Amino acid sequence: MELQPTREDLRIAWLTALAIAIHSVEGVLPSPLPGVKPGLANVITIAALLKFGWGTAAWVSLLRVLAGGLLFGAFLSPTFVLSLAGALASLVVLGAASLLQDRFSAIGYSILGALAHMGGQFWTAYGFFIPNEAMMRLLPPLMTAALIFGLLNGIIARWLVQKLP
Amino acid sequence: MTTGDKIVLVAACALVGWLYAAFWHPDAAGVQAQVLVAGRVTQSVSLKDHGTITVQGTIGPSELELRDGRIRFTRSPCRGKQCIHSGWLARDGDFAACLPNGVAVRVVGANTYYDAINF
Repeated sequence: MELQPTREDLRIAWLTALAIAIHSVEGVLPSPLPGVKPGLANVITIAALLKFGWGTAAWVSLLRVLAGGLLFGAFLSPTFVLSLAGALASLVVLGAASLLQDRFSAIGYSILGALAHMGGQFWTAYGFFIPNEAMMRLLPPLMTAALIFGLLNGIIARWLVQKLP
Repeated sequence: MTTGDKIVLVAACALVGWLYAAFWHPDAAGVQAQVLVAGRVTQSVSLKDHGTITVQGTIGPSELELRDGRIRFTRSPCRGKQCIHSGWLARDGDFAACLPNGVAVRVVGANTYYDAINF
């Protein structure tokens, strides 16, 4: 028996490959603050959401986390768990936001996704790894970074969606 | 940008602003000073008080001065006088100790304080 990949499967595979490539390049770049990354691969998630719907975006996002974890040896490590938590949180929020039908452009989705991503990661880190009040002091600057990068990624994603046929 | 985007952006800025207001306390002022002898808290004093406190340590009396919301060692029977050189303590978490005499002072803030934070 031969599995025939559908057009949808191929599309997900391509988008995921693209996201992993962006993620890898970003991983090499130095980060201004430990724990803060621009999350440029999420541009692909947002573009996928707008072009092909939430299902495709969810596949691309989760496969990217899984494959990224396997590639960089972080699979099932705390880094991986945080990455997954962030991706799941942002997918939940993006799903809820896309139920509101065309109220947002890529910018709105990207900001919502970025804040949810950081929030989900932080909550996981706080709850499972470092349940210390001192952690809370890190939340404001982390969320500031999420907001800024969410906005920037949103602008890139909007440009990308406009360029796509 | 759509109207939805603008609402998201404004709400996100408000959220971040609120987070700073709620969780960002750069350097909390101390409220109380705890005096420890041989590792146990023997007395707590408000930093609003003024005056001197004499504490009996293991080798003799240590004298502490309280003034203007700060506290310091002023006299100690020890040889190194490290405790006196620590100077004024005013911030949440500030700490000075005279190990030979077993006397230490710790400043405590309004909220929980930390000895150390590790990541």
